[in-house]
Amino acid sequence: MAISDKDFEQLRDFIYRHCGIYFNAAKKYFLESRVSHRLAATGIKTAAEYHALLSSPAGATELKFFMDEITTNETYFFRNPAQLKALEQKLFADIVEKKNKIGFRKLRIWSAASSSGEEAYTLAMVILEHRSTLFKDWIIEIVGTDINETVIAQAKEGVYNAYSVRNVPPHLKSKYFKEDGGKYILSAEVKKFVTFNKLNLFDDTKMIFMKSFDLIFCANVLIYFDLAAKAKVVQHFYNNLQPYGYFFIGQSESLHGVNDLFKLVHFPGGFAYCK
Amino acid sequence: MKETLMAAKAEQLVGDSDALPTIPTVATRILALLDQGEVNLDEVADLMLADQILTARALKIINSPVFRPSTPITSLKAAVVYLGVAHIREIILTTSLIDIFDGGSAGELSAFWEHSFGVGMVAKVIAGKAGYRDVDKAYIAGVIHDIGIVFLSSYHGDGIKRVQSRLDKGADLLAAEVEEFGASHCEVGLCLAKRWNFPDAYCEVIACHHDPYQATLDPVLCALVNLANLFWSMHLPDYGGWVSFNLATEPAWKLLKERCPELKMDEERFRYELEEAVHEVQQLVASIFTS
Repeated sequence: MAISDKDFEQLRDFIYRHCGIYFNAAKKYFLESRVSHRLAATGIKTAAEYHALLSSPAGATELKFFMDEITTNETYFFRNPAQLKALEQKLFADIVEKKNKIGFRKLRIWSAASSSGEEAYTLAMVILEHRSTLFKDWIIEIVGTDINETVIAQAKEGVYNAYSVRNVPPHLKSKYFKEDGGKYILSAEVKKFVTFNKLNLFDDTKMIFMKSFDLIFCANVLIYFDLAAKAKVVQHFYNNLQPYGYFFIGQSESLHGVNDLFKLVHFPGGFAYCK
Repeated sequence: MKETLMAAKAEQLVGDSDALPTIPTVATRILALLDQGEVNLDEVADLMLADQILTARALKIINSPVFRPSTPITSLKAAVVYLGVAHIREIILTTSLIDIFDGGSAGELSAFWEHSFGVGMVAKVIAGKAGYRDVDKAYIAGVIHDIGIVFLSSYHGDGIKRVQSRLDKGADLLAAEVEEFGASHCEVGLCLAKRWNFPDAYCEVIACHHDPYQATLDPVLCALVNLANLFWSMHLPDYGGWVSFNLATEPAWKLLKERCPELKMDEERFRYELEEAVHEVQQLVASIFTS
């Protein structure tokens, strides 16, 4: 079902205000197909009527179904090349320079909502590639946390399918994975830098102990929280980030209006937050 | 002292060039006509029609989604009326610039114009947010701000290649240019703009778009182009080297906030919207070079 440009823009603005995801025009087709599913399920005739329902108090339940339709939980290695480029081009070097000055050669990274581990392990691989230069003699600690124990177990196992590793540069794929019957087994060399733990981002008593991170990643999770919950969790990230550290969210996400303390650092193809 | 030396060096770079490009005849005649007090817009339109390439390009530039006229403009007469005397001059200068530098390698030129028209579009959008009185002026200032670069690429190509290899190693654009040429694209651009009698406000943008606090005529215009340049570089990073920025510490943002305290920006959303515009700008540039 085709949605008019006006209806698309209204729906896009509604989604952006509601959860902070921006659907660009290239994703109009995706949104059309998802809205079509929900129209069929609810018996509503037009996108405009559907938008009216979502915006009304009566639409609270439908809004949950809609959010499930438009968000995907998929994760894969090297999912955000622009982010990795920014780290390698500038951000890693900035952090190393600052920490070298105080003589503290330890890099701490938190993948908060680590799912099956792809993001945390991607970072480990990228850092390993700078092990003999920028991070020579550095202690590297990467922590992955998730609320779901099943995905934590998968992350610890470190066995992936071809889809998950499709974006891994070939030289790194052959270096850090062993292929076995269509499965890709991650090498112990990468795994040893990463630990995985269960953590609920709303558990204040545990969150305050996630201290002194240089880089924090939290992609595609905050979109599910309301503004107050989002603000609370983001404040924890702010508190737990080193003064020279960076905080990253997902590729189409926005924290506009959520936290006044974080400043945006723009880089080609993306942005991060700093103090 | 350093500025004087760089200006002298820029004069030398521009002056030494064999057969310095000139504005096409028709454009020169229109510009002369525009300089007379009482301007007959019909006469301007008639003169423009004498140069079909100029006409076609002017219409493409004005009528593109990048420029976003409030209503579609289908005839040259309508374009002239829409723009008015103030801006028809700049469109003519812009189309002349495209003409003049049409001989370089297609890839490099496309990259240059994709940067320039993109910066024009972004400058216009920020100008609107800032309540700047003339958003079309911001657009044109954005389009022409880097004429020094297209000149250096066309006439001092080997030097520009060396600048590029410094950028690839992480050097700063202006520092790399000064090291190579003894002047940056800002001084060189200013020198060209003066020779071609660009209006003063545009000369200032060309000279000061990397340092808007140096501007005296229209610092806001320079700041708009400076920020547009930064934002657009986030979407076409192959032009001018990899850079990052924090708006809170940018002098141009500070200047704009001083002059327009009500200015607010959802930076995240702005970035996502610009990402959508990349394709439009690339289409405009491709269409300009397809006669």
